[in-house]
Formats: sequence, structure tokens, C-alpha cells
Amino acid sequence: MTAWRQAGLNYINYSTIAARLLRQALKPEARAEAAKRAEVHIKVTKWENGKPIKTVQGKNENC
Amino acid sequence: MLGRVGNLTTVLAQNVQKQQQQRGMATLKSISIRLKSVKNIQKITQSMKMVSAAKYARAERELRAVKPIGDGAKQFYEKAEIAALPDVPQKLIIAITSDRGLCGACHTSVARHIRLELNKDDQNIKVVCVGDKSRAILQRIYGKNIILAGNEIGRLPPTFIDASKLADAILNTNYQFSSGEIVYNRFKSVVSYSTTTLPVFSLASVTAAPKLSIYDSLDDEVIQSYLEFSLAALIFYAMKEGACSEQSSRMTAMDNASKNAGEMIEKLTLTFNRTRQAVITRELIEIISGASAL
Repeated sequence: MTAWRQAGLNYINYSTIAARLLRQALKPEARAEAAKRAEVHIKVTKWENGKPIKTVQGKNENC
Repeated sequence: MLGRVGNLTTVLAQNVQKQQQQRGMATLKSISIRLKSVKNIQKITQSMKMVSAAKYARAERELRAVKPIGDGAKQFYEKAEIAALPDVPQKLIIAITSDRGLCGACHTSVARHIRLELNKDDQNIKVVCVGDKSRAILQRIYGKNIILAGNEIGRLPPTFIDASKLADAILNTNYQFSSGEIVYNRFKSVVSYSTTTLPVFSLASVTAAPKLSIYDSLDDEVIQSYLEFSLAALIFYAMKEGACSEQSSRMTAMDNASKNAGEMIEKLTLTFNRTRQAVITRELIEIISGASAL
């Protein structure tokens, strides 16, 4: 078992964090272009019995 | 008795004639108002077409880059011949649409595909609605089957992080499914798309697959990580395909709307001119007959 899975992350969380770090490590001219691909627009809401319950907060919201 | 009825009909006929005359008089103004509003609508639909044409060009360019990601993820399921576990009937359906309308039937056809599935069996299927449109359509009858809804999608091109946030939310719902499908509009050309599905499977279904041994050095850890990633990758691919077909179909829809508005403008101008001429002629007749009666 890898350390990140033990910490409660799944591969998606793990890879988004890795991607974020990589984007931060880019040279400034490439970083602006990469930052465009790092935006989150979607809002996910949990539903139960035909009613929305609450907005799902990701483990790393600003990734 | 009969005479009265006869009277009534003539009165009615006179009334109808009067009304028609009144309407004929009033139309000159009302036609010009209508003409103006149709012209404005045409301007709006034309500019919407231009906007979606620009967005479509971008979406298609991005889609070409994304295609290998989707193909790669699909290949794994096909090569390993993974099938749903027969003893776990639970299914998950992910509907890929967007928040925005005015794009022909592309959202409706996704929703219809899902509704047909739900008609067959609404106990073991749960739906994840991406985009307000599919949610609005499915909510009324199959609201209980929706477990997740995503919105704020469609205004800007979808990013991989959008897809991974959704995939993460799906994995965190604790819904145990053995198989699933992503329903999306597959982009074919500017004028056509088809509603297609992509398969998704759970870890249990994958480990039970008969031909998994063609892949070397796999353990549960690797498969689990790969499945989590491939869910995000497939959703991302489907989102891109959906966005591209949506923009292209909005382009066609708006083009048709402008064309129809143009036809309507032509007809309205014709009636407008005709009515104006009729008014002029009537006034002339009144003047001339008045003059000759002197």
C-alpha cells in the first residue's frame, strides 16, 4: 500500500496534486499557459430521493 | 323562431366582418412592430451562431488532442474482455450534457437514451447528471435515481480537473456498482453527432475478467489506481466530445433560426406593403367617391 493511499487519497487526488506541483514548477512563460488548463468550473451536488443535499467539497478544493 | 336565428347569423357575420376590418386597419402598426422584433431576433441568432462557430473551432481542436486518451482507456476494457458481474446488477449511468440550451436535440437525445434504460429497470440504476439540462429532464420522473448532479459546465471548455473532480465525487458516493456507462454525444462532423455510450467497470468486475492475464505484472493496487484514473480520463474524453457536438449543433440550430427569421421577415414585409397599399387605395376611393357625389 502506498503512502498516499494510506493517507486516504485515491489516484485522482494524488495525480491532481502531482500535476499542480508540476505546473508550479514550470518556467514563468509556460506557467501562464498551463494555469489555464488548471481551472475548475464544475460544481458537484449530492442528490438523494430526488432532492439536492449538499455541494461536494473535494479533498483538495483549489487544485 | 327561424327568422330570429337567421337574424342572429347575419348579425354575427356583420360582427365578424367588422372585426376583420378593424384588424386590417390596426395591422399596419402591429405588423411594423412585429417586423422589428423579428429583425432583432434574427440579429441575436446570427450573433449566437458566430459565437458558437468560434467556440466550435476551439472545441474541435481540443477534441483532436483528447481522442487518444479516450481510445487508450477504451482499449483496456476491450482487450481484457471485461464484463459486468452477473450477480451484482447495480449499474451507474453518467449523462454528459451541459447547462446551456438552444442547441437542437443534443441534450434531449442523451436524456432519452437514459430514460429508455431506466424504463427497463429503475431499481438498480443510478444516474450521475453532468449539466443542468439532463438533470432538469430526468429530475421529474426519475429524481430518485439521481445520486450526483454537476453544473456550471458548458460555459467554458471542460478541463481535466473538472473531470477528475467529478470522478472523485463518483468514487466517494459509496455506491457499489459492477458496471456502468457514460452516455454522451459522439462528434462525427459539423452537421452530425450520435449518442453513444462508453463502458465503465468496477474493480471487482475487472479482476474477474477472463483475459486480464494478457497484461503483465498487475496487482490489485495497480488495477485500482488505473481504474480511478481511467474513470477520470473517460469522463474527460466524453465531456470534450459532448462539448464539441453541442457547439456544432448549436451552430446549425442558430443558422436555421436565422434562416427562418429571414423567411418570416420577407413575408411580413410583403403583408406590410400590401396593407399599406390597401389603406391608400381605400382612402383614394373615399375621396373620389366623395367628390363625385357632390
